Amino acid sequence: MGGTKTASTPTNGSKGSTRSKTLLYVGLALLMIIVPVTFQAATGLGFLVRILVVVGIWVLLALGLNIVVGYAGLLDLGYIAFYAMGAYAGVLIGQSFSSVLGGATYWVMLVPAAIAGAVTGLALGFPVLRLRGDYLAIVTLGFGEIVRICLNNNIFGLTNGATGLPKGGDQLVPPFGAIWLQDHVRFDTPIGQFVFSQNLFWYFIVVLLCIIAIIVITRLDDSRLGRAWVAMRENEVAAAACGVNIMTQKLWAFSLGALSGGVAGVTFAYVQQFISPESFTFMESVFVVCIIVLGGMGSIRGVIVGALLIRGIPDLIQGLAVAGVLKLPGSAISMISGYRFLVFGLLMVIMMAVRPQGIIPSSRRARELRPDDERQLEEEDQTMWDVEHREQVSVHNP
Amino acid sequence: MSLSYLLEQTLNGVTLGGLYALLALGYTLVYGILLMINFAHSELFMLGGYVGLGVLKLLSDPATVKATGLGFLEPIQAFFMSGTVGFVALLVATFGISAIVVGILGMVIERFAYRPLRHAPRLAPLISAIGVSIFLQNAVLLWIDSKQLPYTRADGSAFVTAQTAFTIGTVHVSTMQVFIVVTSLVLLALLDTFVSKTRIGRAMRATSQDGEAAGLMGVNINSVIALAFFIGPALGAVAGVFNGMYYGSVKFNMGFVPGIKSFTAAVIGGIGNLRGAMLGGFLLGIIESLASGFVSNAYRDVIAFVVLILVLIFRPGGLLGEAVAEKV
Amino acid sequence: MTSKRRRFVAMVAVVASLALVATGCASKTDTSDTGGAKTTEVVIGIGAPLTDGAVALGQGMVRGANLAVQQANETQELKDLGIKLSTVEGDDKGDPTTGGNVATQFVSNPNLVGVMGHLNSGVTRVAVKIYNQANVLQVSPANTAVDLTNMGMANYFRVCTVDSVQGPAAADYAYKVAGKKVAFVVDDATVYGTGLADEWAKQFAADGGKVAGREKTTDKDTDFKALVTLIKSSGAEIVYYGGIYNSAALLSKQMKEGGVKVPLMGGDGIFDPEYVKLAGAANAIGDYATSVGLPLAELPKGQEFQAAFKAAYPNEAIAAYDAYSYDAANVIIKAIIVAAKEVGADKVTTTEGRKAIIAAAAKTDFEGVTGKVSFDAKGDTTNKAITVYMVGPDGTWAPAPK
Repeated sequence: MGGTKTASTPTNGSKGSTRSKTLLYVGLALLMIIVPVTFQAATGLGFLVRILVVVGIWVLLALGLNIVVGYAGLLDLGYIAFYAMGAYAGVLIGQSFSSVLGGATYWVMLVPAAIAGAVTGLALGFPVLRLRGDYLAIVTLGFGEIVRICLNNNIFGLTNGATGLPKGGDQLVPPFGAIWLQDHVRFDTPIGQFVFSQNLFWYFIVVLLCIIAIIVITRLDDSRLGRAWVAMRENEVAAAACGVNIMTQKLWAFSLGALSGGVAGVTFAYVQQFISPESFTFMESVFVVCIIVLGGMGSIRGVIVGALLIRGIPDLIQGLAVAGVLKLPGSAISMISGYRFLVFGLLMVIMMAVRPQGIIPSSRRARELRPDDERQLEEEDQTMWDVEHREQVSVHNP
Repeated sequence: MSLSYLLEQTLNGVTLGGLYALLALGYTLVYGILLMINFAHSELFMLGGYVGLGVLKLLSDPATVKATGLGFLEPIQAFFMSGTVGFVALLVATFGISAIVVGILGMVIERFAYRPLRHAPRLAPLISAIGVSIFLQNAVLLWIDSKQLPYTRADGSAFVTAQTAFTIGTVHVSTMQVFIVVTSLVLLALLDTFVSKTRIGRAMRATSQDGEAAGLMGVNINSVIALAFFIGPALGAVAGVFNGMYYGSVKFNMGFVPGIKSFTAAVIGGIGNLRGAMLGGFLLGIIESLASGFVSNAYRDVIAFVVLILVLIFRPGGLLGEAVAEKV
Repeated sequence: MTSKRRRFVAMVAVVASLALVATGCASKTDTSDTGGAKTTEVVIGIGAPLTDGAVALGQGMVRGANLAVQQANETQELKDLGIKLSTVEGDDKGDPTTGGNVATQFVSNPNLVGVMGHLNSGVTRVAVKIYNQANVLQVSPANTAVDLTNMGMANYFRVCTVDSVQGPAAADYAYKVAGKKVAFVVDDATVYGTGLADEWAKQFAADGGKVAGREKTTDKDTDFKALVTLIKSSGAEIVYYGGIYNSAALLSKQMKEGGVKVPLMGGDGIFDPEYVKLAGAANAIGDYATSVGLPLAELPKGQEFQAAFKAAYPNEAIAAYDAYSYDAANVIIKAIIVAAKEVGADKVTTTEGRKAIIAAAAKTDFEGVTGKVSFDAKGDTTNKAITVYMVGPDGTWAPAPK
């Protein structure tokens, strides 16, 4: 899965490497089609496609938060609020217009969901982005909880409280073709019956959204905005002195991240066909942050691997057992399901001690954290010394 | 609504505030020195409740003797269950053992989960702390009990029975409420004196101002940090035992909400500032209680967080915090 | 650069080979199922919160369902048919998203034809559609949200009654029998709690009672001191709590300790021995709970169930949903038997067999341990008897005086 990050890493430019790269992408694309189709066809493995869909939505979420945390260096512990905003906006508006829009409802709703996310991001960002790192973290955490509690208490009579949306008897209209494909594309294979399930349909939509997000983010990273973010992350004061408008850059990062969260939210709502405040708890925010940090901050490939590990693996083993692929007694399944978070917590601690830069660190960040050679390290020390020295001078001679 | 109603809600708030304050001290101590949010602190609070319950059961629940078959406990229990001396001894033993066990656990966590990360990027210790938190919650869930446990003996009788200490008008103040508020104030006073008057306290303050410089001046930074990680969790454990006695139960996920609130309290008071944490704790407790008494119980957390956001926007350093310029 | 790319290629290869291995596993299990002995293995899923949420209730569901399956496996009828039943647990954590994953895992299991679960109505909202697409029968022992059976899911049935039956029955009791005129209504802001409390409050007001206050807490809350003070000032004679036993018990405890000596009333979610344990017997005495059906001890089948339960789980007490889960599992088992006779035992796991099972479940009609089990056209139970229970002086739930 994924690997488009190469656009930002310097290439050797020789013909051979370009060809092998093309080959790699073609292989990857094939793999991304063949693997889920195989899962769908194989008896007892259909659930893996749903896991992939969930992982994909989390990749989208994490890519958005990655702009905020990984690029701009702002810790946001309430990111799930934007996800919720997108989901609720998409469902509420979508239900009002579904009779007109029909199968296009989901596609059209991507727009209001993205706007809902981005506007919330701006509205929150404007007053609080002046705060420094950890305060920002705790304020966003509070904001996330405020949003969840308001949703849960049926604020303005819109959200239907804990019962969730859509209300009983109502349906969210699936996108064009999902039902037709499920009813008509089915045939037997040597490993089981293949059905073009709605899960598989959503898988392709989610992968498409992820690819779009990756392309946009890669372009952003290389743009003026991306460089401003890096400068800001490394040293806010120095960046401001060099003419970077800190507030504007932060707002950009915050609202772009929120926008991606909103898109992920509406997708989640239409995949699950149901949303309720339980899906937008603080722990979910924590999981997004963990995905980024485990995978590698600022690294797109890292985000994908992180999402696979955190959202995919825990469900995988239990799923194999429940689906009857692994023959395990009931008590063993309960045990796996019980111990997975214990192991997961432990892994997070070990991971941070052994490899804090993440599993697949971004190339830029890796050089910052673990410089390749001594010379570079010395160089950096030198500049640090220069900065400090210069600053002292300026303090003493105002 | 009458005045006595206002008074009673305030009283609820002050008691809740006392618990928040005890917890907030732990957050503020660690944050002051290491600049990290010790996310696992709320789990240490939870463990404090469990250890306390265990000690209480061993020392004063006859059913435990039967269940474990530890016959030698019988005379010990006879002592702890008789008279005022026994009762006071029971309380001291419960709070003391719980504080020490959890304090040591705090040091162990610091040694293995945080110390290797001291020079890692800012987010690493936070993530590690979240990992510790998830681990501890699930360890309790798997190895102790997944159910909510009553904070009573097996026959259902309370270890500390609720009694009225005194009455103001029609408002009854229970012994437990007095006990919580007084203990938290006394512990703050002790901690404040310790930090401002003793040699080790000075080392702590020096480390919090500039760890590296303090190290160069001969302060053993590792032991200072370890000490902070003993005191903070120990206070958290005391709060955990109080929480169990006052509200009546322990559960593996009970730490999360009070944890966030207490961190909020620490931020409101000005993080890194001990008296600020105390003030923030009591303020937040009272605000929450009045909010649920006069506005809506459903929105009490919302109101608490709105207060947090307002404080940070209009007074970013917190109420007692100094406006420190960001170190460059 | 090159080493990085090589590593990336290696990663891709690993993923691919994992996929292949997984597929290999799947096809292997297939052959072992159809080959060999003639017995058909049929699996029933148990979907319940087992590590998070209302764990005590979830464990009870597992106990009830497993007991029913064990007993069924020993009957000659199933042996003659050549069917061996087994259960598989799916931990939904009481969370809709996790529930959706569990449901997908269940339907991926080729031998699974029915699911006994889920506890939470929110989980069912997501899961039932997934079961519907795979023609898997779902019988819930505990979903009380009224609108679940309005979703048009033919595969969905429940053996418990809904909020709109249980809430008003309890309110009538409180007003007419217990003679309480002023009530304070609290719920835990969950689907279950809000639904129940709303229905209760509506009926209590319709009866002529006064609802002095309406508040919400959360199902994880343990601090009700401020709420207790509010209840005290409202002059309520009874407190209705819509929610699960753990927070209800603490509310009751803190009420009594705070000088509010009025009974707390709740729905089937608090009808659990844990409630008394948590509140402390002294505080819980006089508190009410309602539950569907008649008391187990008053029904011949119920007594049998109590005896069998005691033999199977000597160290456990019967919790709120054990008996319903037992009945719910039996609905599935009986439907499997009917379908097996109709289409042949070896075909029950096919689409044809699954449809036959769902059709058979709709015609369910047997004497269960909670009373007569049969369903109306929407899938709701026709057993609408509600019993009010009260914590007696000995600290156990007993039928309340009528």
